[in-house]
Amino acid sequence: MTLSIQKSLTWLQVRRYWELLHVLVMRNLKVRYRGSLLGVYWSLLNPLIMTALYSAIFGTTFASYYGNSILNYVLAAFTALVVINFFSASTSQALSSVVGNGALLNKIRLPVSVFPVSMIVANIFQFAVGAFPLLAAITLINSKNLVNVLALLFPFLSLVLVCTGIGFLVSALYVFFRDLPYFYELVIFILWITSPVFYPAAIVPSQVKPFLALNPLSPIIESLRQITLSGNLPDFSLIWGALLSGIIILSLGWVCFNMWRHKFMDLL
Amino acid sequence: MEVIRLDQVSLWRRTQEEFSYDLKKTLLSLIEGKYRQPAKKLVLDQINLVIEKGEKIGIIGANGSGKSTLLKIICGILQPTSGKVRVFGQIAPLIELGGGFDPEISVMDNIMLYGVLLGFSRNEMKQRAYAILEFAELQDYQLVPVKGLSSGMVARLGFAIATEVKPDILILDEVLSVGDENFKNKSQQRIENFWNIDATVLVVSHDLNFIKQSCKKVIWMEKGAIRFVGDGDEAIKLYLNTN
Repeated sequence: MTLSIQKSLTWLQVRRYWELLHVLVMRNLKVRYRGSLLGVYWSLLNPLIMTALYSAIFGTTFASYYGNSILNYVLAAFTALVVINFFSASTSQALSSVVGNGALLNKIRLPVSVFPVSMIVANIFQFAVGAFPLLAAITLINSKNLVNVLALLFPFLSLVLVCTGIGFLVSALYVFFRDLPYFYELVIFILWITSPVFYPAAIVPSQVKPFLALNPLSPIIESLRQITLSGNLPDFSLIWGALLSGIIILSLGWVCFNMWRHKFMDLL
Repeated sequence: MEVIRLDQVSLWRRTQEEFSYDLKKTLLSLIEGKYRQPAKKLVLDQINLVIEKGEKIGIIGANGSGKSTLLKIICGILQPTSGKVRVFGQIAPLIELGGGFDPEISVMDNIMLYGVLLGFSRNEMKQRAYAILEFAELQDYQLVPVKGLSSGMVARLGFAIATEVKPDILILDEVLSVGDENFKNKSQQRIENFWNIDATVLVVSHDLNFIKQSCKKVIWMEKGAIRFVGDGDEAIKLYLNTN
């Protein structure tokens, strides 16, 4: 008897969470694009311009690492920029999401975690419409194999897990430290420089390399590049590496978020 | 039948002056060895309270005596540091939503958003949306972004959404009065309707006349503790005598 009550209670909670997520994501997307679907493609402008810039400046120098092909350099830079962009946009938006809705949390009982999660989900939508078709096309042309296109979902899933974990962590920390955005910009810059976005990993001195492996985004970029650019079948050891990094970061973020959650209300 | 029961509920919160909102300051004070645990203050002190179904209860007390905090504990927004809170039935806070609308999205989208935040499903809200627009007299503004409405219209919309609920327990933190004379009468009537149905109502107000007229039972709070529960006239007399 008590068990069935508990079951229906959790079912209700799941449904409520889902409904909340739905309206919050819709709100995020509507505010961002004000009714014009083309606005989604605006978000592609940034990685495309950056890719062009890097290719113009570093392309000829680094082409030798990419089989003497500037095109390969362009594609490598683009795949990494898409990952970095998703990461920095979704986590920065998640960062302010709990504090930004503090007034609401003081008036209505809501599951706090729905706010950072809704920011991540809005970015997933944007990615699915904007960058993903482009990546899929590049993959299909390079590998001529649908398996590779499907396998793209794994590194992307890992990316979502990492971003959700970091999103939980920074949105919780921001409640306690309101000067966090200033520091977080620095953290994003460090992650960006230490993931091989515009340089080949081979040029990094061997003493420094182990530190670069600590970057949770590098296994994701590596796996994504292997799937899109190598033309070979997906390498599962790389995929597992990326997923593992995602699962670790997500669990870490979730544990911290839950540990600190009961202290939020005193500071909002 | 009891709907709300509080057993020995106490709540400690961080005090306002001690807010250290700053990573830089915290790190520097750690390095200098001056870091202290943030101070805490007792906001609710061993509250015992039982509320029966259908009771209309007024809560009075000076500013900072813990009235709103008590409501937040009952709503489940705050968790007590010690003690037990039990609530049977669906609680709806009747709150001022005007400030919380998203100005960029349309009136219709805001109705859906707030309805779901208050605990409705999207389907329910789709069915109620027209009634809400009608009550707020905003039928012609469905697709207008909220930033395009006058402040009076926004207040009317907020009131219309918040009072669409038919809860078991209604929480009122300060009585809302919004809009022009015509709308004021309408909203007054709507609030009075809550009194006639058998919902349990908890209301915090500084309007002692309103409390005297509409609440059978009045709680007087002082410094986080309940000092008196019972007859309205007596509670108000005790409260006024301490000032």
